[in-house]
Amino acid sequence: MDQIITAVVAVVGVPLVLFGYIILGERVIERLPESLQGWIRPYFWALPAIGFATIFMVYPLVKTVILSFRNNADTTWVGWDNYQYFFTFPDTLTSLRNSMLWLVFYTFFSVFLGLIIAILLDRVRYESLAKIAIFLPVPISAVAASIIWKFMFDYQAPGTVQTGTLNALIGTVGQGPIPWLVNSTTNNAALIFVGIWSITGFCMVIISASLKSISTEVLEAARIDGANEFQIVRLIVTPLLWPTITVVGTTMIINALKIFDIPYVMTSGAYDTDVIATQMFRQLATSHYARAAAVGVVLFVAIVPLLVVNIRRFQQQEEQR
Amino acid sequence: MSVTTTTRETTGARATVSTLERLGYRLQRLPLHLVIAIFIAIWIVPTLGLIINSFRSVQDMSSAGWWTVLFPPHGFSLASYQQVLQTENVATSIVNSILITIPATVIQLAIATMGAYAFAWMKFPGKDLFFIVIVGLMVVPIQMTLIPVLQIFKATGLAGTFIAVWLAHSGYGLPFEVFLLRNYLGGLPREIFESAEVDGAGHAVRFLRIAVPMTVPAIASLTIFVFLGVWNDLLVSLTYLGSSPNRPFTVVITQLVTSLGGGWQFLTAAAVLQMSLPLAVFIFLQRYFVRGITSGSVKG
Amino acid sequence: MTEVLARLTSRAVALGLGGLMLIACTAGGGGGGGGASSTDVTVWSAWGGQELKAFQDVLKPFEQKEGIKVHLTTVRDANQLAINVDAGTSLPDIAPGPSIDKLKDWVSKGVMKPVETALGDKFNDYIANTYPALTTSTGGGDNLYIGIVGGKHYELMVKTQVKGLIWYNKKVFTAAAPKTLDELLAIQPPAGAKLFCAGFESGDASGWPASDQIDNIIMRQSGDKVYTDWINGKQKWTSPEIKLGYQTFLKTVSAATVYGGPNTALSTNFGRAGKPLFASTPGCLFLEQATFITNFFKEDYPNLVAGTDFDFFAHPSVNPQYDGNVNGFYDQFAMYNDTPAARKLMQYMATADAQQIWVKAGGTLGAIKSLSYTDPIFKRAADVAASAKNLLVTAGDFMPSDMQHAFWKSLLNVTKNPGSLDAELKRLDQVQSVAYKT
Repeated sequence: MDQIITAVVAVVGVPLVLFGYIILGERVIERLPESLQGWIRPYFWALPAIGFATIFMVYPLVKTVILSFRNNADTTWVGWDNYQYFFTFPDTLTSLRNSMLWLVFYTFFSVFLGLIIAILLDRVRYESLAKIAIFLPVPISAVAASIIWKFMFDYQAPGTVQTGTLNALIGTVGQGPIPWLVNSTTNNAALIFVGIWSITGFCMVIISASLKSISTEVLEAARIDGANEFQIVRLIVTPLLWPTITVVGTTMIINALKIFDIPYVMTSGAYDTDVIATQMFRQLATSHYARAAAVGVVLFVAIVPLLVVNIRRFQQQEEQR
Repeated sequence: MSVTTTTRETTGARATVSTLERLGYRLQRLPLHLVIAIFIAIWIVPTLGLIINSFRSVQDMSSAGWWTVLFPPHGFSLASYQQVLQTENVATSIVNSILITIPATVIQLAIATMGAYAFAWMKFPGKDLFFIVIVGLMVVPIQMTLIPVLQIFKATGLAGTFIAVWLAHSGYGLPFEVFLLRNYLGGLPREIFESAEVDGAGHAVRFLRIAVPMTVPAIASLTIFVFLGVWNDLLVSLTYLGSSPNRPFTVVITQLVTSLGGGWQFLTAAAVLQMSLPLAVFIFLQRYFVRGITSGSVKG
Repeated sequence: MTEVLARLTSRAVALGLGGLMLIACTAGGGGGGGGASSTDVTVWSAWGGQELKAFQDVLKPFEQKEGIKVHLTTVRDANQLAINVDAGTSLPDIAPGPSIDKLKDWVSKGVMKPVETALGDKFNDYIANTYPALTTSTGGGDNLYIGIVGGKHYELMVKTQVKGLIWYNKKVFTAAAPKTLDELLAIQPPAGAKLFCAGFESGDASGWPASDQIDNIIMRQSGDKVYTDWINGKQKWTSPEIKLGYQTFLKTVSAATVYGGPNTALSTNFGRAGKPLFASTPGCLFLEQATFITNFFKEDYPNLVAGTDFDFFAHPSVNPQYDGNVNGFYDQFAMYNDTPAARKLMQYMATADAQQIWVKAGGTLGAIKSLSYTDPIFKRAADVAASAKNLLVTAGDFMPSDMQHAFWKSLLNVTKNPGSLDAELKRLDQVQSVAYKT
């Protein structure tokens, strides 16, 4: 009961408090001389947002970087020790390798499939319905998706009835069951596939919206000139969609590096399926805070190029405004 | 006489060609439909399989695949749901999920809207720098912030409380929301604000009576996005509420795996329950959902 | 305009302030809720499913008789308590004791209260009634495994399990129990069946059943000194004793000896591993597991009767010199807040009445010697526990968590790929060199 009251208070109270903050604040600011107003007001308004961002993102970011050079109890400096651990222990190196696999394959396939499906569906009448089907996995949590696919990948001893859909399917053509999540040749691929499955709908929707805005005349002209469908897709559609593809691709790359839920729930990182985020969580959960910080910094460093790209793109857009 | 025959013949010939053409066209399209059908199957069947499995007993699930329900005996059972709902912590955690999601969503959107307004319509030194920082923060992985924020929570005694996750989710979500809303607010016609200013309306009124109502579509789409993001979240709650009685459903589900020892069969019902809210939201609010995604990423 | 604004403002101010106050008030109360008193007790346990239900059954008579409300929370992650201790946030009144590396520290900080205090004058009875292996430290010094520090006990023993028992289907295996491991391995299973069933999957903790198996081998093969040194990081993984242990373990999970081959052992959840024992065409003869597995057998085959359909024999001897070593584990509780209600609960759990309820729920032994077991299996298991010279703990549980995790993973990896044994052991040495430093 306590909890419910707190929640209701928060839902009602916070907007009201902000409401009051704005109105009261404005009343005070309006009393000030003109010159001062223009100076104080923006900070006043932006303060909550900037405050939150600072407390929960900027400050921790800096602190984490600092912590990565200290020991777990945060009492002394240890220089590069934590990083050395990261780059010499086979476990952490595996997680790095796996994150790279996710980076490449998750990104590529989710964008590629999103593009292909958007193009294919554009040509059929039942497009809206089909889009819903592909998009369906997007709103469900990675936890639920992991459980869905755990059953798809289920493995029973050879010679017994297979309860997992995939093993049952390959059983119909005589192939023995494969332990998808245990076998190191298949397990990373399986996990990455689940990731792709969950997010392709997202890419598809965005690309589809852009696709619709391509003028049909251009395409018609190309067809009259004798170009076949493949050429049209390759030489006209894709280049025209390139800005959208880049935006979606960047988002996917960031997702891929941060991926946590799927490996955590499906295999807990066993059999060499660990990724950077799960590795970091495990260090955190066993109180190896400094080591976890080092892992986090490695992850961050991998993302920095994207940060730069994002900022640069933003600045370009601003100039066009 | 001969004229009519020619016409009928000609019409007849043309008619035959059209049917053949149409058939040829359809056959040509067959591969397309086939490929699409395969894609749709891949995307729907797994979820369907899980939902069907959740309505079977544990014995059935561990001895035969879900497709066997299509043939008699069908073996329909609510046992999984009963079991899961009776399991300690599950029902509480579902309530917790709700109690976490709604306030977290409201808080961050309120703050974001305010901040976005400032960035969109006010000039101040350092504005660009601040905004670039915010754009940059959108990319920063949450993992980078977990430890220090955890320490802050411990130091302030907030560890394990709802307030902690409300604040955390808000902090993490703000950069993206401020970014999005600023773009939207910035796109509102300047004249409306200017005429209101001339009429003597201060910023408070301009914001509350003009800007906010006009931003409702964007806020609506964003709300759905944020709501689902928090409902589905695992990492943030796992870190800050891992063993607190306040932990949400997603965390409890992952913990059910180890503690229930019998294996994954018990999780089918849990997963279906967890997915049903997002699926319901999606089905009823599709339009806003999709609009939210596309407006955020495709710049007109 | 200004009037409107004025009205808005005053309303906003009132509501805003009110809101602030409400938030402040309820925020204080909505936190951890540790209501330590004489009428409520907060308890954490790692139990879920059946075990949890059994515990709830144990608590019911206590609540009724004493009128004390027990607030029970399942906390799976052993580190959570540590996080709370570090943060100084409120602790549950009663919860399991910590991992070995934290025990001394917490005792010195006064975080844990002695069992002597909790039980008061009932303490001596507790010592007299409980299995000696659980309450005495050989040599009289500290025994961190059972929570003895500075001559005082900090962990109350409530349940025991014996591990390393070899379970079999009585209708299928009718010969006499093999006396040595070599005899066991030489048994020829009927056509279509393999010697062993195994199931190592367990979510994040996958591999622990395998570690139980190898523990039972090593303690009987190389003795308790090697075993305890190994737990404490003083015995290298690449040493001949440990390597021999792994090699012996691999004999039991090879493609020739385990049902469905290594892949099945790795993919099967430990609770379901025994299913092939009772299938109409049995898939295997033996399953090595602890006493709690009986409940899992009954989940899949509700009509099984203990003693008639299934039974166990104790782990066969490897090196006769070390026969007195038995692998067991126990559930224990420590008191973190000394309140009248908490003391009462501790005292209750130390009684035969409480533990009898646990025993009745099945799948476990109590810690008290004198309990009555209707289940013939558990009666025999109790004998095994009572006659043990050393009740040795499960190695992995008492290693630092990095080490344990690496250990479990190594078992999974070598099962999958026996050729990787040397590489895995080297890796474990590498982890060992770092894991035991704080």
